[in-house]
Amino acid sequence: MSRNQDGASQTDATVIDHLDGLYSYALVLTRNHAEAEDLVQETYVRALPAMGRLRTDSNTKGWLFTILRNVWLNQLRKWRNGPQMIEMEGDDGVANSIVEPSKNSHDLYVSKLEAEQVRAAIDELPADFREIILLREYEDLSYQEIASVLDCPVGTVMSRLGRARAKLRVLLSTTLKRSEHPERGADNEGLR
Amino acid sequence: MKGCDDYSETIQLYLDGELSGRDLEDFQAHLKECEACRGELEAQESLSVLLRRSRPLYSAPDALRARVMQTAESFSPTTSLPAVCRSRRFATILAWPLQIAGRGAHLWGGLVATSVLVAAGLLLLPGIMQRSRANSYIEAAIAAHRSFLNGSLPLEVQSESPSVVTAWFAGKVPFTFRLPSSAEESDHQQVYRLTGGRLVNYNGGYAALIAYQMQRQKISLLVSSTSSAVAAGGEEILSSGIVFHYRKQASFNVITWSNHGLTYALISSLPGSGRQSCLVCHQNMADGNRFSAYR
Repeated sequence: MSRNQDGASQTDATVIDHLDGLYSYALVLTRNHAEAEDLVQETYVRALPAMGRLRTDSNTKGWLFTILRNVWLNQLRKWRNGPQMIEMEGDDGVANSIVEPSKNSHDLYVSKLEAEQVRAAIDELPADFREIILLREYEDLSYQEIASVLDCPVGTVMSRLGRARAKLRVLLSTTLKRSEHPERGADNEGLR
Repeated sequence: MKGCDDYSETIQLYLDGELSGRDLEDFQAHLKECEACRGELEAQESLSVLLRRSRPLYSAPDALRARVMQTAESFSPTTSLPAVCRSRRFATILAWPLQIAGRGAHLWGGLVATSVLVAAGLLLLPGIMQRSRANSYIEAAIAAHRSFLNGSLPLEVQSESPSVVTAWFAGKVPFTFRLPSSAEESDHQQVYRLTGGRLVNYNGGYAALIAYQMQRQKISLLVSSTSSAVAAGGEEILSSGIVFHYRKQASFNVITWSNHGLTYALISSLPGSGRQSCLVCHQNMADGNRFSAYR
């Protein structure tokens, strides 16, 4: 894309800012890399022509997530036999490039291990728990914004989020203990 | 008087920043006295910090990034799409209200109105895109502030010395800046203090997060180059020749401005709105009486 015009680079910024979040949401819904990519692509195809019509105080992020979810629901409706849940393929596309400058190799290894355990735990949750955890903990949407994306009452958001977190706490109990006592956890893992 | 069991939902609301007013005050008072609730809050916070530490959950593959950029290019106002094609797209978008309101209206009247709207739309588009870009910077600043508040973005340099923090950022960010020294502000009674800073990812590069403390309130200032971020929209306040853009977003007070090639986003939960919010820090300063509504 041309960057010699301010307008183009502005579009770049808007597009790229939410790409990882939308892709994560698509993967949480579809659990399939190829389908997730298509879902994100379709979301942008629908959103971009309408972006100029958004009010200045619009919540662009929530709006994009709502479009993605609606596209997904429409696809589900078209598939008469229901969704085909396909297991995740490999770990390509997994976020491991967020490197904090001050981290040494040991810290990086622990971070990566921890992130893998978190992803595995989230993957064990039912779909409605997976998406609410993503929208709140990873995308920082407020209860009202989540209710708008999921098209449900705010009270449902609150109760579902509480149950999702409770289940996640059980699934991640070992990881949580290790993160509270890193020296013990690292020794157990033979990391030092 | 509520028992501890009644606070389980409140703990979650508190953690998610969904408590306010009297409910917030009541819960904070309860927390001081209740060890069990403090323990439960700590346990819930630990999970939240663990999850936020593993952000993003997944990264979009490069191939998808390229496909999306290609899609964006086809909708960009600066691409080499034939003018007639581009105009038709905007005509379709902008003529939509006319189609709703003007069924049966005179054909020529509709065409003239559509042409005017197309022209207006093309003129307004850069402004819309600028606000969109400003919004994305604010969203990034709020996300960074939230992560800073919940501990998942710890400070990489901790110092109250502006020169130490300035020196730490030198060479780490793709722009140069200098925090004003305390001596320069000796005329003012400082109501906030610098606590440090860290790097954060923004728009494929690094931005500088500067942390301040005002009594018990944490304040963060995200600094980036104007080549990657702009300030626009919101309530505009003029002071010393700089236009500050104020808005309330996601329950935070947000003030953005651009000056000398840098764009700033100040995020806080300070009370007040607009000019009042600026004056929380600047009320005792010499420039306190220079804030005025821009329009």
